[in-house]
Amino acid sequence: MVGSAALAGCGVFDREPEPAPQPDPLQPLLDESLALAAAYDRAIAAQPGLATRLTPLAEDHRAHATELARVIGTAVPSAAPSASAPASTADTVATLRKAEQAGQKTAVAVCQAAPAARAALAGSIAACRATHAEALR
Amino acid sequence: MTEQLAAALAAEEAAIYAYGVIGVHLKDGDEVSRARSAELEHRARRDGLVDRLDELKASTAPAPPAYRLPFEVSDREGALKLAVHVEDGVAQAWRALLPVTEGAERLDALSFLTDSAVRATRWRRIAEVTPLTMAFPGRPS
Repeated sequence: MVGSAALAGCGVFDREPEPAPQPDPLQPLLDESLALAAAYDRAIAAQPGLATRLTPLAEDHRAHATELARVIGTAVPSAAPSASAPASTADTVATLRKAEQAGQKTAVAVCQAAPAARAALAGSIAACRATHAEALR
Repeated sequence: MTEQLAAALAAEEAAIYAYGVIGVHLKDGDEVSRARSAELEHRARRDGLVDRLDELKASTAPAPPAYRLPFEVSDREGALKLAVHVEDGVAQAWRALLPVTEGAERLDALSFLTDSAVRATRWRRIAEVTPLTMAFPGRPS
C-alpha cells in the first residue's frame, strides 16, 4: 500500500511539474528564415543568372537566422536541405515574392505579440521581408 | 515613450524638409511624383505625432534641428542619396518605438518602419545602388 501510494504521488508529480518545453515564440521565424534562404539557394541553382540579384536577399535571411538563434539561445541548424531538392521545384521570382509576403505577415504577428525586448528584432525582420518583396518586383 | 515620439517627430520633420530639396533636383516625372507622395506621407505622420504628443501633454519644444541636411545636394544623384538617407533615418526612429508601444500603436510604428524601409529600397533601385536591401531596417548602424 505504501508503495502504491508513493507511486500515485509520483503520478501526480509526473503530470504537473515539468510540462514539455514550449517552443520559443521566435522559433517559427527562425525556421522560416532558413526556409526562405533555402528557397533562394534553389532558385539560384536553377537559374545562375539570378545570383547577383538574389544572393544578397538570401544573405539577409541567414543574418536573421543567426540573430534569432542568438536571442533564442539555440544553434542555427546547419546544412539547409537546399542542395537535395530537385531542380524542378525551384522557386521562381514570383513564388519567392509570395513567400516573402507570407513571411512578412508571420513576422508582423510575432512582433505584435513580442515582449518589449524582442519587438525591434521581429519588426526589422518584418520590414526586411517587405523590402525583399519590393526588390523582387 | 514621449522621448521616442519626439525623436520620430524630429525624423519626420527632417524628411519633410529634405523632400522639398530633393524635389528641386529631380526632373523625371515618375521620380518627382514619388518624392511628392513620400513628402505627403511624412506630413501625415508628422501631424499624427503632433496630435499624439498633445494627447500625452508632452512639450514638443525644443524644436528639432530638422532644417540642416546631412550633406550638400546639388544634383539628381545627391537628391536620391538624400532620399535613401532620410528614409533610413525615419525607419530608425519608428523602430525605436516598437519596444515602448503595444497593440495598435506598435502596429502603426511597424507599418511606418516598413513603409520607410520599402521606400528606401525603391530609391536605391532608382539610384542603381546595391544592395537594395539591408538585413535589419531601422537598426542603428
